[in-house]
Amino acid sequence: MVGIGELAVSNNPSAVLTTYSLGSCIGVAIYDPGARVGGLLHAMLPDSTMDPARAQANPGMFVDTGLGALLRSAMQLRADKRRLRIFLAGGARIMDDQNLFNIGGRNQGAFAGWLQREDLRATAEHAGGRVNRTIDLAIGTGRVTVKMSGLLKEVVMC
Amino acid sequence: MLTIDEFIRNIDYLPPFPRNLVALTELLEETEVDVDQVVSLIQYDPALTALVMRLCNSAYFGAASRASDLREATTRLGFNEIYQLVASLSTAALLRPSQKGYGIEAGELWRHSVAAGLIGKCIALERDDNPSVVFTACLLHDIGKVVLSRGLESKYNEVVAETKGLEGTMQAVEKKLLGFDHAEVGGRLLERWQFAPRLSEAVRWHHDPAEAGEHARLAAYACLANMIACFMGFGCGHAALALRGRTEALELTGTISEDIPRYMTKAFYALSDLQALLNIQF
Repeated sequence: MVGIGELAVSNNPSAVLTTYSLGSCIGVAIYDPGARVGGLLHAMLPDSTMDPARAQANPGMFVDTGLGALLRSAMQLRADKRRLRIFLAGGARIMDDQNLFNIGGRNQGAFAGWLQREDLRATAEHAGGRVNRTIDLAIGTGRVTVKMSGLLKEVVMC
Repeated sequence: MLTIDEFIRNIDYLPPFPRNLVALTELLEETEVDVDQVVSLIQYDPALTALVMRLCNSAYFGAASRASDLREATTRLGFNEIYQLVASLSTAALLRPSQKGYGIEAGELWRHSVAAGLIGKCIALERDDNPSVVFTACLLHDIGKVVLSRGLESKYNEVVAETKGLEGTMQAVEKKLLGFDHAEVGGRLLERWQFAPRLSEAVRWHHDPAEAGEHARLAAYACLANMIACFMGFGCGHAALALRGRTEALELTGTISEDIPRYMTKAFYALSDLQALLNIQF
């Protein structure tokens, strides 16, 4: 279980990493099918510059520091950056004509910016909209599943 | 067309009257609360008494020596801390069950409500508003869903169909399918239970705070806390974020949208503390 502001990596083939109820937060799953190493992040806010002390203590709280920490942790388990599959879920938002409350969109934007800086591409995204999502990553198979609350609908991303 | 009272009377399920919570919120109306009044509300409940003692002697409050009895613990902790803890627990029986008409699983609505309470409190402390009053309005804002869920249960397919696409709030769906929305029903329920008017009005208008007249600021707190709880992933049920962003909520509480991330991190740590204290996992 990966809580808000947390990240986890694993190379245990029987492990399933899960993070619940993303709201406007984003969940990012990464997986290297060669090394069978995967990781999952649940980041709440886009930008660590608002609170560098908290980002230091808790890098997973922010998209920018969280993604860096996720990548480093996976590479410590011998994941190869060039082989990574990357999945995004979450970033939901409310109806907001003036774009004052769009934390979900800003989180998604921070994710896109990070991909660009790292010269990486997302394999699949299930983001935006008005639903709470839960994301699972099965380390043995690399299967990524997104569930939406209230609908019991499940989408297999890979 | 039924009136809201007829509608509430006709419903086959009404949540049980929360006697302790009403008695507790009455203390909010007093300018000075006597410690014995608080003690008298807690002492007959062994679980609550144990919790207050544990809270007082926890590392979180950094007590140098252990409090020996409930009165001492109550004095040390102060009214607001005790109040918020007891109010949270007093709503558990009401808000914990699943609400099938909304696709809300057991525990989710309570989690959403307590999160909203803590978010409101974090903002109120910065704005010099009474943190316990704000906490209560935010904690109770969705109580109407407990009443409406039964009515929506047999129409859940319609709820899902109506919330498809990007138009329509959950409130509008309730109104279309049942004739009333959860804010109206929640406000009326609190009124019938004789909660203070500012609380019932804040709940009544938590999606349209500018309509709440003299209670607009408190309604705006409930509106803002509800939105922020949804951002943090403490929303619940189907189409959890099918609500309209209200800029009035910012103006009425004297906050700006750039402050929201800071409130989110503050509330996050407040929630972690509460979970550790209550030994629950949200």
